[in-house]
Amino acid sequence: MTQPSIFFEEVNERQGTFHRRTVVLGAFAGLGVTSLVARLAYLQLFETQRYEKMAVSNQFNFKLLPAPRGVIVDRNGAVLAANRPNFRLMVARDGGMDPETTLHTLAEFVPLDAVRQRRLLKDINAAPKRAPIQVMEDMSWEQFTAISVREPELPGVSADMGEVRVYPYGGAFAHVIGYVAKVNREDIAPTGPNADPIMLHPGFRIGRQGVEKAFDIDLRGKPGAEKVEVDANGRQVREDPNGDIAATPGKEIQLTLDVDVQLRAEEVFAAESGAAVVMDCRNGDILCMFSGPSFDANRFVRGLTGAEYRALSTYDHKPLFNKALTATYPPGSTFKTMVALSALENGYDPNTVHVCSGRWFFGRTWKCDQVHGAQNMHNAIATSCDIYFYQTALAIGPDKIADTARKFGLGEIFDIGIPGQKKGLVPDTAYKKRRFPKDPKWHPGETPSMGIGQGYTNLNPLQLCVMTSRIANGEKALHPRLIRSIGGVEQKSGAAWGELPVDKNHLLFVREAMAAVTTGIGTAARVSDLGLGPIKMAGKTGTAQAYSYGAGRGVHGTAGAWKLRDHAWFVAFAPYDDPRYAISVLVEHGGFGASAAAPKAREIMRTVLLKDAEVMQRVQTVTPMPPAPEESPPAVTPDPGAKV
Amino acid sequence: MTVSALTRPGERDRLIVKLSELDWVFVLVLSLIAGAGALMLFSIAGSSWTPWAAAHVARFGICLLMMIALAMIDIRVWFALAYPIYGLGLLLLVAVEAVGDIRLGAQRWLSIGSFSFQPSEVMKLGIVLALARLYHGVSAERARLSWWLLIPAMMIGVPVLLVAHQPDLGTAMLIALTGAAIVMLAGLSWKIIGAAVVGALAVIPPFVLFGMHDYQRQRVLTFLDPESDPSGSGYHILQSMIALGSGGLLGKGYGLGSQSQLNFLPEKQTDFIFATLAEEFGFVGCVSLLILYAAAIFMALRTSYLSHSHFGRLGAAGVTATFTLYVMINGAMVMGLAPVVGVPMPMLSYGGTVMLTVMIGFGLVQSVRVHRYAEVTSGKGSFV
Repeated sequence: MTQPSIFFEEVNERQGTFHRRTVVLGAFAGLGVTSLVARLAYLQLFETQRYEKMAVSNQFNFKLLPAPRGVIVDRNGAVLAANRPNFRLMVARDGGMDPETTLHTLAEFVPLDAVRQRRLLKDINAAPKRAPIQVMEDMSWEQFTAISVREPELPGVSADMGEVRVYPYGGAFAHVIGYVAKVNREDIAPTGPNADPIMLHPGFRIGRQGVEKAFDIDLRGKPGAEKVEVDANGRQVREDPNGDIAATPGKEIQLTLDVDVQLRAEEVFAAESGAAVVMDCRNGDILCMFSGPSFDANRFVRGLTGAEYRALSTYDHKPLFNKALTATYPPGSTFKTMVALSALENGYDPNTVHVCSGRWFFGRTWKCDQVHGAQNMHNAIATSCDIYFYQTALAIGPDKIADTARKFGLGEIFDIGIPGQKKGLVPDTAYKKRRFPKDPKWHPGETPSMGIGQGYTNLNPLQLCVMTSRIANGEKALHPRLIRSIGGVEQKSGAAWGELPVDKNHLLFVREAMAAVTTGIGTAARVSDLGLGPIKMAGKTGTAQAYSYGAGRGVHGTAGAWKLRDHAWFVAFAPYDDPRYAISVLVEHGGFGASAAAPKAREIMRTVLLKDAEVMQRVQTVTPMPPAPEESPPAVTPDPGAKV
Repeated sequence: MTVSALTRPGERDRLIVKLSELDWVFVLVLSLIAGAGALMLFSIAGSSWTPWAAAHVARFGICLLMMIALAMIDIRVWFALAYPIYGLGLLLLVAVEAVGDIRLGAQRWLSIGSFSFQPSEVMKLGIVLALARLYHGVSAERARLSWWLLIPAMMIGVPVLLVAHQPDLGTAMLIALTGAAIVMLAGLSWKIIGAAVVGALAVIPPFVLFGMHDYQRQRVLTFLDPESDPSGSGYHILQSMIALGSGGLLGKGYGLGSQSQLNFLPEKQTDFIFATLAEEFGFVGCVSLLILYAAAIFMALRTSYLSHSHFGRLGAAGVTATFTLYVMINGAMVMGLAPVVGVPMPMLSYGGTVMLTVMIGFGLVQSVRVHRYAEVTSGKGSFV
């Protein structure tokens, strides 16, 4: 037997130690549990609000919804730019899906060719995860429902209804209203309104031209948000319609334009190149601002193909150009009104007679297109005699002519709300000095050209319409107004810009001379007959050289290559005895003003006048009734007894 | 506790007596914990028994039966198997080092046929059994302070280093702390305990900086400031704390926890199931659960207190220490008090391995209880 190695007292000692140490272990465990409880109390009782907030912000997301874009209407409320529903198909990268297969599957329901699939695949892979990329828009109802029912089996695919901009009149207003398009990377700014996250929404469109661009911020409105519950992967679990934030629609913008007038202008121009501007010469409202040929703005909303854009941008009739504002042309004989007024203002006797023999020598031989014989100023305007105005201009000098022209808004940029106006040029000696340092002197030989609106003189159709309006108005320095109201707030009237500092009698003289243009011996006598009885139009033709043939005007100006033909002008106001409307028409390379521009002006002006009830009252003069017969019919008196 | 039939040598070997001597309150507490786990697993599966709740209940049932069966095994059988189990554990750890599978970047799994398991789980039990066996025949004097202590130190150190090398720092730490608890309970001098604590505290910072894998260091640093990288490595801790904090006093209601139901909570069915419960049942639910855990710990510790054999005492206490460490580490992790380590909440979390380990351990505890008067005599404090 071996000795037991552990003795009884030792066993007792071990046991005692163990029991004491067990208490220590128990105490440790108790301390541990207590600290856990303390930590729980801290988190769950004291910090609970903070963590509740974090849990809620985990749980709910707000999905931005673009606001309906503000509607653009004409002066009578006809809609020029609106929104229509649009069924869109979107694909976003998401877990458990392969974009390539998904696109392949989608191609069974909507037309998606291989090229487009490749391009979309690149876009989808480049976009952040779960950022939807638009695959198709304007799906038919059948396509939309076909995709909708399969949405659960197609992760990352969504079909929804958005809004798309629509321009009911297609091209008629394209230059004024412009269009909207998808947001580019360059559009997104680090600060300001273009930093808004709504810019990244696939349904958002940004204004690109005209009113859409100039008033983009007003039209955008305030985006709303849809409250959705999401899981940790950002997938939408359910919607919470009570938590939605409604979008504030964009402001409505009312223009001073009139749909009927604008459409008539589009009609009369057909495929010709040019511009027409109509103003109310009592308050400056622009009733029509058309530039032809135009383009369908709706195509731009959807996105042009490269070929389409190239076709538009390389066509020599320049459809993308707003010729009413952005292009300047020599005003030709329409400028004679300014020369005449300047002469009158500077004491030139209108009864001064110059004899037109078809040619006049001053340094070189200057021509006139006809032999007008002896002319006073009145007749010279009516017949548009160049010889008369060569000499009148020479007598007054360029600075005085320029001074008068500027009083009528020529060479000025007007704040009509949309960008792209060209200033043009009314030359004077200071200009010559500034622009041609090597030949700073204004030579007398340059003045006759200016007298007939040629030479350096370059103006846009809007400026000529303003000029005509001021002549017709006679009192106010009218400004053109295109934007009538923004979100119901009326904009400043065009008549509120002060007086026209020109002698009223001189203006009357010019108006009468312009009336003579459309009657009797006038250059536009027959072509400007409105056919509205007593309502007559007064105007001035212009035929401006676009290209110098060296020998002056000739058959080339109206019959040569299109690019080299003269520009045709006509400015007019009506009714001439009570001016209400002024018009300027430019037909680019149209030939003679009287034959190319005046008939268009007449048609557009007719439309304007037919819409004016007061003017129409004068046209439809009541035929006096024949005298009433002696015996009057028996008076019918109501029977008091029949009353209930 | 009445003086039971266990004191009578003839009767104490009868099965019916043994069964009646099981700690049935303890069984009830464990069942309640496992039931709470099933309840939460049912909730986060969207009120469905699949995929987790049914399996959890079934596993617990099997494990409970096994625990009872193991409790019937004589304490002397456990005693005799102590070193073999430890030895087997060591062998397997070496084997896994040589031929183990690499899963999730760590070499922890050993496959035998289609069955694969983590040898470190064997070692969790092996270290308890072997140290209890070792100390059974050792005098208080030696256990307190002597060169002999190098033997238990090596017995702990070798498996800890092997597991840490896999690398599985969580389990290594668990084994080390379990071993340390047994050595402490066996009567280690306070001086050494004090020195060890000071030494550990001094070693941790340089170890974190130089001795860890990048992901491990990242976890520690993230723990120190979870909001520094909320969508990256701080995500787990932050989401867990949001789930807990937003639960408040009474919770959001059963099945209504947004953090767990919408998957913001990671590993919601395993390591972070406590956060799920905290979100849906609030402070009241959490404290109730912790009381259940505290009760289980207390009852298991009391069993070790009752044992008449040193092997029984240390064995039961060692298992209790392991269990307690699981609860503490997981609790602290979920509450943002400890770095993220893959330690589940025993009985509550979904997962078979840990439940099996813990229930086998409790089988030992119950065996100690049932055989508390048995004489364990073969030990002499020497190697077998």
